[in-house]
Amino acid sequence: MSASTRAPDPARQQLTVDWQSCDGHGLCAEILPELVHLDEWHFPVVQRAVPKELERLARAAVVACPKLALKITKP
Amino acid sequence: MLSNVVQAAGLVEGAPVLWYANRGSGFVLLGLLTITTVAGVLAGAVPGSREWPRAATQAMHRNVGLLSATFLALHVVTTVVDEFVDVRWWQAIVPFTSGYERIWLGLGVVGLDLILAVIITSMLRHRLGHRLWRGIHVLSYLAWALGTVHGLAMGTDAGTRWGVAFAAVCTMAVAVAIGARLVSLRSAPPSAGAPKANPVTTHRGMP
Amino acid sequence: MSGVRVAAGQGTDVWVHEGPRLLADLEHGPGLAVHRRRSNGRQPWPTSGWELAELLEAVDLRGRGGAAFPLARKVRTAAKARGRPVVVVNAAEGEPASSKDSTLMLLKPHLVLDGAQLVAQAIGADTIHVVVPGERPSVQAGVRTAMADRADADPVPMSLHRAECRFVAGESSAVLELLSGRPNLPVTTSRPSAVSGLGGRPTVLSNAETYAQAALLARDGVDAYCSVGTPAEPGTRLLTIDGDGDRPTVLEVAHGTRLAPLLAAADADADNGLLLGGYHGTWLPPAAVADLTVSAMSMIEAGAAIGAGVMLPLRAGACPIRRTAVVVGYLAGESANRCGPCKFGLPALAHAVRDLALGAVRSSERIVQLMDAVERRGACHHPDGTTRSIRSMLRAFPLEVEMHLSGSCTAAAVAVPAGAW
Repeated sequence: MSASTRAPDPARQQLTVDWQSCDGHGLCAEILPELVHLDEWHFPVVQRAVPKELERLARAAVVACPKLALKITKP
Repeated sequence: MLSNVVQAAGLVEGAPVLWYANRGSGFVLLGLLTITTVAGVLAGAVPGSREWPRAATQAMHRNVGLLSATFLALHVVTTVVDEFVDVRWWQAIVPFTSGYERIWLGLGVVGLDLILAVIITSMLRHRLGHRLWRGIHVLSYLAWALGTVHGLAMGTDAGTRWGVAFAAVCTMAVAVAIGARLVSLRSAPPSAGAPKANPVTTHRGMP
Repeated sequence: MSGVRVAAGQGTDVWVHEGPRLLADLEHGPGLAVHRRRSNGRQPWPTSGWELAELLEAVDLRGRGGAAFPLARKVRTAAKARGRPVVVVNAAEGEPASSKDSTLMLLKPHLVLDGAQLVAQAIGADTIHVVVPGERPSVQAGVRTAMADRADADPVPMSLHRAECRFVAGESSAVLELLSGRPNLPVTTSRPSAVSGLGGRPTVLSNAETYAQAALLARDGVDAYCSVGTPAEPGTRLLTIDGDGDRPTVLEVAHGTRLAPLLAAADADADNGLLLGGYHGTWLPPAAVADLTVSAMSMIEAGAAIGAGVMLPLRAGACPIRRTAVVVGYLAGESANRCGPCKFGLPALAHAVRDLALGAVRSSERIVQLMDAVERRGACHHPDGTTRSIRSMLRAFPLEVEMHLSGSCTAAAVAVPAGAW
């Protein structure tokens, strides 16, 4: 069972992918390898809950996405 | 007025500092904008590696872009302030309104306006949404081209061998980058088998 | 027993059996006059969203489109939300093996439209959109006539729309996209449609049969409605049974009825396994089918979900692995091709299952790996529905899977009839 299927932790920021926009550029996985890795077709597998210490990097990954497909939601 | 101050600051009398700054910044600008454009094109075309991730190319594109913007500002300010040629500040923003070299200067002004639009939309990218941002951003190719034409037509050094060579190298760099991008778009990603993996009639009479 | 043509142009007839409620008095035809005669003089309709919700909750009326969401909750939410509500009748069906909504729209359109008017008036909606399948022109024609016949009498104006001819066309967000003038494909939504749906307005979108059930309830009252079915699940529902017989069958069944005899009545076998819920459904082995009743709870206990009531029993001698390969191949081709994991993962999965069906692989590891890779990644549940049939196949037919992994098939000798599902 992949990490993204655990129930969301309400206290943490959540990372989600807008799948229609995502083109598999992969910058998110480069910037945030702790939470994002790429599947065999180069699309992101995302761990939803963002630990506090990675929040800044998560924001950087959101900004870097060329298709604006990565979103972060506040708790 | 400012040029008087500059001259009064003890520089060699008659030395056209502002003009040198303008000329130099224009030159550097061509190089910086070329690097910016090439980095932008390649960010999407070249897959990242562990040593040089795509995020690095993207960061370079942004940073050199902002540096270009600084030099562009310098270039425009020195034009307006320098009294040797009469260009008022609004003529540096509204194209084809200057008395001096209306067409060639005007093309440069169009380039400036486009770059301003690109910068503003990029800063507001998350609010504007991807499609609007991209629609404007594509105009940066045009801005680059207009700047190059403006420089070749008006640039003091455009007549020299090395000036022309520099412009040629920049143009080739952009052309090669675009070529690489087109090639990478043409070779579509492997579709892991055709979408219609099993063209069998699955339901009565319904393909 | 009447036979009704529901897929014009390809000659696919569907057998429709008389039923106790929805499919009662079929011989009188779908006309408006007959319908009015049957409906007049019954109870007055609820006048507010609150009143309607109470009525629906009294029988716990759930959606018949597959999600089984309580209609009362949608009604309450839309009645309270900001903006003028909209009602959408989803008869798009999508699933090619399902014919119940097309049948209902052809034979009892006024029951469905009554239900839509009922809900619209109760929540204060100003318009009703009816969506019918693109690949069944006879249904469009029938509904257009029905709507024209009653246009003068109906307080809330109705409009007819054609869905595109694809599997995902009936998915809720895909229907709203179609109504918004965009391609008929699912999208990620951040808020439920009852809060903010079509054009940001509160939208009650429900299956055609759900509206018909609501109309019956409002017409006959709670006691009469509950006189059929079980205490926990009163009322009836429509099923489509397609068992490779002469043609598929649509019937109306009271909750709690045993499934096996129904399959026999529809000229199908109950002894070889069943794909319950259509192409996004769950395989059940023969032993599980024997005890099944038509009831959400019975299905859940068996590890399945009743969905939109599509029952696909396996014929004697057919191979469930091969059938699954065909189904997955079809579903892979029906991807909207918008989300990476679905666009690339489903065709890969289709190949992997086909390899298993052909006896060409010695391990199902690749299939499992691909299923984990596509589930819950995408704008809709198309990948999840697809993997459901594969996971349940692996669970329900371990013997057959073993045989295929060693290169043979239990049904190798029997030819699959052309056109079989």
